[in-house]
Amino acid sequence: MGRYKPKIHSNYEFELDLAPLLAVMVKLVPVLLISSAFVQVMMIETDLPQAVKEAIARQDDKKMASIQLDISQKNGIRIIVEEQGKQQVESVPNKSEGQYDLETLHAQLTKIKIAHPEVFRIELAPEPNVAYKDIVKIMDEARRARDRNITFPVQDSKTGKQIETNYMFPDVAFVNMMEG
Amino acid sequence: MGYKRRRFQLRSNGNSTFTLNITSMTDMFTIMLVFLLQTYSTSEVQITPEAGMSLPLSSIETSPTKALKVSLTKDQLKIEDKVIAKLSGGEFSSQDVDNRDSNFIKPLFAELEKAAKENPSEQVKDGNVMMLADSSLSYQTIRKVMYTASMAGFPKLKMATVAGE
Repeated sequence: MGRYKPKIHSNYEFELDLAPLLAVMVKLVPVLLISSAFVQVMMIETDLPQAVKEAIARQDDKKMASIQLDISQKNGIRIIVEEQGKQQVESVPNKSEGQYDLETLHAQLTKIKIAHPEVFRIELAPEPNVAYKDIVKIMDEARRARDRNITFPVQDSKTGKQIETNYMFPDVAFVNMMEG
Repeated sequence: MGYKRRRFQLRSNGNSTFTLNITSMTDMFTIMLVFLLQTYSTSEVQITPEAGMSLPLSSIETSPTKALKVSLTKDQLKIEDKVIAKLSGGEFSSQDVDNRDSNFIKPLFAELEKAAKENPSEQVKDGNVMMLADSSLSYQTIRKVMYTASMAGFPKLKMATVAGE
């Protein structure tokens, strides 16, 4: 008595009915085409984790170091760190092509942040002829550390614990906005 | 021998059916669907920049929130959809700028004050203003808008950028 073997038609072909799938797609594609935004608009503001926000609020009460960036199209960026009456100035000259040296700026700001982890505010003083796109780029460089291994300690006032953040200077103020 | 003239008739089998091959079309739609789902934005506020305006690129990942929209292109200044002032070469005309204060844009101040009175919504009360400005504009022009907005009671300025880099 032989073992049962199911009959297999080696040349058997069947056609999958794709019509219902296509019908769904035909309806979905126009809906998504109408509602999708091809240009994703984002917004720069200080929307931060709670502990970082509190640390920013606290820095208003204490006398902390102030960090100012003087931005000049011709001479590059000057970082002025003022602490207890002492002023420390570091220059980031433009590259040979006349562009801002953003890599060096980021490295300098990271160093400053390591030295002053409690400071979250940065003051910008761009010259009138500086382009808006360059200001946004500089704000990007100052906002958070690019290297994910670099973090800065922040004291959470509620739990008393120390947490790590990669935010550097997310709180931006234009100091020369009110100047004539 | 008679030749009977007959009208040409297309040969057709009376009850033949044919199946349309839609596999390739389904392929195409699948690719489109994946692409559209990827670009689909779930942000609660959709902001459309003005035609010809190029917003600056930024690495920030914060979605926009509700705020009074101020658009600044190389040619004009708008609040929501209303044109407030005209610009030439990225500069405000002298008639729109206050004589005593070169950073003060008179029509913008008047319109923002009006918006604050007429629009009692939460975002206007809190002084939130979203600025959509062309990336090629200089800080001098942007500063005038920021200065006037803060004078009119809108100190919380949000800058619209395009996700990238």
